[in-house]
Amino acid sequence: MAASPMEQFTIKPIIPLHLGGYDVSFTNQSLWMCIVVGGLSLFMAIAVWNRRLVPSRLQSMAEMSYEFVAGMLNMTSGEDGLKFFPFIFTIFLFILGSNFFGLIPGAYTATAQLCVTLALTMLVIFTVIVTGFIRHGLGFFKLFVIKAPLFIAVPMALLEFISFCARPMSLSMRLFANMLAGHTMLAVMAGFVVALAGAGGVLSALSIAPMLLIIGLAALEFLVAFLQAYVFAILSCIYLSEAIHLHDNH
Amino acid sequence: MSEPDPRRLRDLGEKLDEIRRQEEQRKVQPPPTSAEVAFRFATELFAATIVGGAMGWGLDWLFGTRPILTVVMFLFGAAAGIRNVVRTSRELNARIAAAAAKDKKES
Repeated sequence: MAASPMEQFTIKPIIPLHLGGYDVSFTNQSLWMCIVVGGLSLFMAIAVWNRRLVPSRLQSMAEMSYEFVAGMLNMTSGEDGLKFFPFIFTIFLFILGSNFFGLIPGAYTATAQLCVTLALTMLVIFTVIVTGFIRHGLGFFKLFVIKAPLFIAVPMALLEFISFCARPMSLSMRLFANMLAGHTMLAVMAGFVVALAGAGGVLSALSIAPMLLIIGLAALEFLVAFLQAYVFAILSCIYLSEAIHLHDNH
Repeated sequence: MSEPDPRRLRDLGEKLDEIRRQEEQRKVQPPPTSAEVAFRFATELFAATIVGGAMGWGLDWLFGTRPILTVVMFLFGAAAGIRNVVRTSRELNARIAAAAAKDKKES
């Protein structure tokens, strides 16, 4: 019997640690997050080690990712938003990194855990709230008010408030669900290959079909890995821009 | 590496700026893929409904009025979800229109 397709998401402690009744073990989750951060830092450090006017391949990769995020931020929130560049760039690279590292066979996908993506979105939303209050003081609450007669504006304010609170939820759910679904699908297909190959006779020959499907799915997963990092980053930009400009843009 | 000639460097910089300006005019956000549209709509609707219901649940627990507020807030959450979907579709439509306009201009 093949292993369950969900088994790849189990968290296993590598170095068990307990502090004050809490389980703070160093797990495979922590290990892969460290690998992602380390790998990205190493990549960036090597890429800009020998800075040249005419960039090498690595350097132009680093520059392209920089300009991609800077352009995205500039387009959604204008010059004011560029202050948040380091924040958005870090989040984008971390998500992109963990999505891509997760595609290595046998690797663990850090972004396929709801707690990781939820922590990331909480970071974004708290930045939005703090920025909003610093910029506008109590005027930040105007975000929930629309121009309408009072009997419409009051329930609408409630609706706006709920949809504001739903943002971290939808943002984190999307990333988590995409990664979880993709990896589960790959594992299920791989299970079919093993089961068919083991069945013998004509069925063994048929096992080539799911194998081909896996190749297609893996290609799709690469697209999804990039797309989800992009969507996460651009939505963070949009939320930040709303906190900076309030209602100016709509 | 020897020190490069400053005048040539400046020329190169100006040329790059010119190209970048042209590039800037052509650049628009990529149009959303079908999968992106589907996931955006589904999560927006789902998240707002769940959050609304959860808020009602919490308030009920606070005031001891179960289940009135849960029901009311759940409905408000669903309404907020639909509003989110409308807003999202407006945003996605703008992106599709921008990408289509760009295609038309280039061909």
